[in-house]
Amino acid sequence: MTEIHVSYLFRQPIVCTAVFLTIIPIVLIFFRRAYIDRVFLILLTFLLIKLVLDLTMFHYAALKINNIFFENTSVIIRYCLLSSLFYLNLETPFFKRSIIVVMLTFVLFAIWEIMEINPDFSDFHNHRGFVYSSTIECILMIFWILLYFYETIRFLKIPSLLSYPFFWVCAGMLLYYCSIVFIAPFFYHTLKWEDWIDIGFLVYIPSIFESIYLIFFSIGIWFFSAKNYAK
Amino acid sequence: MQNNDQLKLALLIATLAMLIMAFFVIMFVMYYQKKKFEEEKKINEIEKTHSRRLLDTALNSEETERRRIAQDLHDDIGTMLSLTKLSLNQLSKIVGETGEKEDQIMRKTQSLVEETILHVRRITRDLVPTTLERFGLAEAIDEFIHKLEEGNNLIISFKFNAEEQELPRQGAKIELTLYRIMQELVNNAIKHANCTKIEINLDVNEQFIGLRVTDNGIGFDPDLIKVNNLAGLGLLGIESRLAIVNGTVQYSKGGNGGSIAFAQIPVIVVTDSKPEPLHPFRRERVNI
Repeated sequence: MTEIHVSYLFRQPIVCTAVFLTIIPIVLIFFRRAYIDRVFLILLTFLLIKLVLDLTMFHYAALKINNIFFENTSVIIRYCLLSSLFYLNLETPFFKRSIIVVMLTFVLFAIWEIMEINPDFSDFHNHRGFVYSSTIECILMIFWILLYFYETIRFLKIPSLLSYPFFWVCAGMLLYYCSIVFIAPFFYHTLKWEDWIDIGFLVYIPSIFESIYLIFFSIGIWFFSAKNYAK
Repeated sequence: MQNNDQLKLALLIATLAMLIMAFFVIMFVMYYQKKKFEEEKKINEIEKTHSRRLLDTALNSEETERRRIAQDLHDDIGTMLSLTKLSLNQLSKIVGETGEKEDQIMRKTQSLVEETILHVRRITRDLVPTTLERFGLAEAIDEFIHKLEEGNNLIISFKFNAEEQELPRQGAKIELTLYRIMQELVNNAIKHANCTKIEINLDVNEQFIGLRVTDNGIGFDPDLIKVNNLAGLGLLGIESRLAIVNGTVQYSKGGNGGSIAFAQIPVIVVTDSKPEPLHPFRRERVNI
């Protein structure tokens, strides 16, 4: 790590905490052997991709190079992987099919939006963030989480929610998406080089809640027991 | 500038509102799920108690019916057969003087009637275990195995381990349950296990009464029977009887082949009231 990176780390501690905190749930997944469960295997994949993208973004941010392209990419990957967790956890076949259909539609829409807001794709310096996709991602994820909670109550399949790993994952995600659902529409106006809107401390809200959801993920993974796991 | 501040405030309020909502959703899910689980548990308890009562009633009715049939056999058919035997004895004296052939037929008829009387007695005793009610479980099991050994190439042994010298009397329901289970297990061993030796052990301590029936037959795989739902009426009957008295049953393979069945029932404190004698049979409902 060069001096520039260390300097950025001290200038943006809140943002950087969310990047390096990703390591904790990854280590815990290996430590608790949670990867034997398909849900946590997907979560591990997501966390590893997130770590790589976050470190790349951290590197470019330290060098003051536009990294919005990676942010846009991470939105698509994040939605696909996190919504597939619900594909595995929801019971009703209709909802499962809906997740697949919505996922495909979302990916197509997000790609179309990237093309639409960035007509000159080679101009990385002026690459811009999503107008709609981030907000849509939040709304959809909140919907899937609430649907999962509804099924949990309806089917009564979990005896103790507090010690159920996926409940902590859902709780963390719900807090994160609820925190950014109103801020996400402004990313287009805040994440750019010129004429950007200053929303003050609120710009750190996504990073703060990213750290919180990573802590929640870690708690959930900690509750995972490979011994009691039944395929 | 003012617009920007208003925007920040609006965003902050909206974000806080969403976070509060998320927090309450999580709390609600936890609370509601816990509440529903408790309700479900209560319903399960009620259903369990209800089915236990139904089973109890069904088994009580079965015992009442057995007693009624035994009573009818003893009072009506038994009496009629005794009278027939008396009449035949009188007739025998008259016929004996007339000829040898008639005398032979008469003796044969008398012997048939006597045999029928014995059969009726045996059926009556099988229907209602009078020894059990009079003398207790140990005597009843002794009598049962003694009858089974007669005419069978079968060795049946019975041992009991009690803190006192004699097996203490248990509640009528417990004794009858253990006796019926023992009957079923021994009959199963004879019918299906192709065994030559059966061991019956009764262990009584302050908390539990354990009945172990071991045979040296072909044995069976209890898991296979459970998985494939192959349990017959006999095994299901054992489980039903045990469910009423909070008992459990376990089947396992014996060390040298064969099978072991172990039924365990918690001891219920017996009231001082003595069990009513079965003979003469009473025409009233039995409540065990």
